[in-house]
Amino acid sequence: MTTLTIIALGFIAVAALFTLYRLLFGPSNADRIISADALSLITAVFLLFLALIFDSVLYLDIALVYSILSFVGIIALARVIETKTNNSKNLGED
Amino acid sequence: MIWIVAFVVFIMLAAAIAVLLLDNMVAAVVATSVVSLALTIIFALLRAPDVAMTEAAIGAGLSSLILAIGLKRLGYWKISDAKGEKND
Repeated sequence: MTTLTIIALGFIAVAALFTLYRLLFGPSNADRIISADALSLITAVFLLFLALIFDSVLYLDIALVYSILSFVGIIALARVIETKTNNSKNLGED
Repeated sequence: MIWIVAFVVFIMLAAAIAVLLLDNMVAAVVATSVVSLALTIIFALLRAPDVAMTEAAIGAGLSSLILAIGLKRLGYWKISDAKGEKND
């Protein structure tokens, strides 16, 4: 690892810490979902740096698959949140 | 390299404790997805790319979706407004 890689990993770590704070103590649900989205993006960037460090092409595929599938998961969570907030319609009470 | 593993394990531990302690179901599902995210990084750091790819496919996309749909259908999905206050 060169010095530039170590500095970049430090920046990624700081970004992940701030995002993790918003995930743990975020007041609303939308904050937590957006922070999980940002954390998945930080993870994809970290997997790219891992491909650089290990000098292997296999980790690029992990970053690709993770980006696509986390996008699908976050979109699904957002849709579930959206269809829920019309009124206090709870399935347990029906 | 050991500091990278320690940092990822710290993120995973914080998310797992948040799953246990949060009473908001949406936040618990999101924290579960963050646990599987950190597990993907750990599998990739242990030089197992195929296991990491399987964990990314299952944990990122499918697991949170199934948990959200199941909790919504069971009625455990607590309603909260924009400020995070629960209105029962």
